[in-house]
Amino acid sequence: MIKRDILIKWHFSHPPEKVWECLTEPKLISQWLMKNDFKPIIGHRFNFYTKPIPQMGFDGIVYCEVLELIPNKKLVYTWKGGPRPGVIGLDSLLTWTLMPDGDGTRMILEHTGFSGWKNFVASIFMEKGWKKISRRMGQVLIDMK
Amino acid sequence: MDTFQAIADPSRREILMLLTKDKMSINSLAGNFDMSRPAVSKHVKVLYEAGLILISDQGRERYCELKPEGFGEIKKWLTFFDQFWKEKLQNLENLLNERSKNSANFHPPGK
Repeated sequence: MIKRDILIKWHFSHPPEKVWECLTEPKLISQWLMKNDFKPIIGHRFNFYTKPIPQMGFDGIVYCEVLELIPNKKLVYTWKGGPRPGVIGLDSLLTWTLMPDGDGTRMILEHTGFSGWKNFVASIFMEKGWKKISRRMGQVLIDMK
Repeated sequence: MDTFQAIADPSRREILMLLTKDKMSINSLAGNFDMSRPAVSKHVKVLYEAGLILISDQGRERYCELKPEGFGEIKKWLTFFDQFWKEKLQNLENLLNERSKNSANFHPPGK
């Protein structure tokens, strides 16, 4: 199945230990990401809480489970959301990878495994035939990039 | 029916995928499915009402094609997380800078 994965690379001028703290301490996480009840334990289920976005079918709660944890190196958790409890529209995976880079840290964030309709829409947008059609789209496409 | 409901159904997604290749008549669409032509026709109607496809009559055939403008809402989702993570990572960088500045104040270097 075709996926549209997000991969972002980032450099921090701080050592991996410092970045790791910010990825795994709930109070710190909430300062840059969202309120949460994260615990650095494999199998721990936790949520992120933010504002709902009804027009995107999102009720403001992200449901997560810690899958992998290698201190200062790698953190993997699921990232699921939907319009109301029990209904999942977005079923995805977050992978945080840290590597020492000089005095700082090189971080790779992967947001992968979009399934269901999102996956499908992504593949529609990637089809050649779609590109042909999209030339006629004008404004709609310009801000799509 | 809104866009998301319209594409929640696997058959309708399949129809849209077929239409990414070219415009197609309802008969030739139906040739790709095990279900009856009326069943395919019903799905086509849902897609039409959700604004995802256009229908035109050519001779005795009804032709369907994708309507790009109809996908605007979904497009928002596609670009949402790119933007979201870039903002959040910038927050993270600011937080790290702030924390190291604070700890530098408590333990001035060179002492």
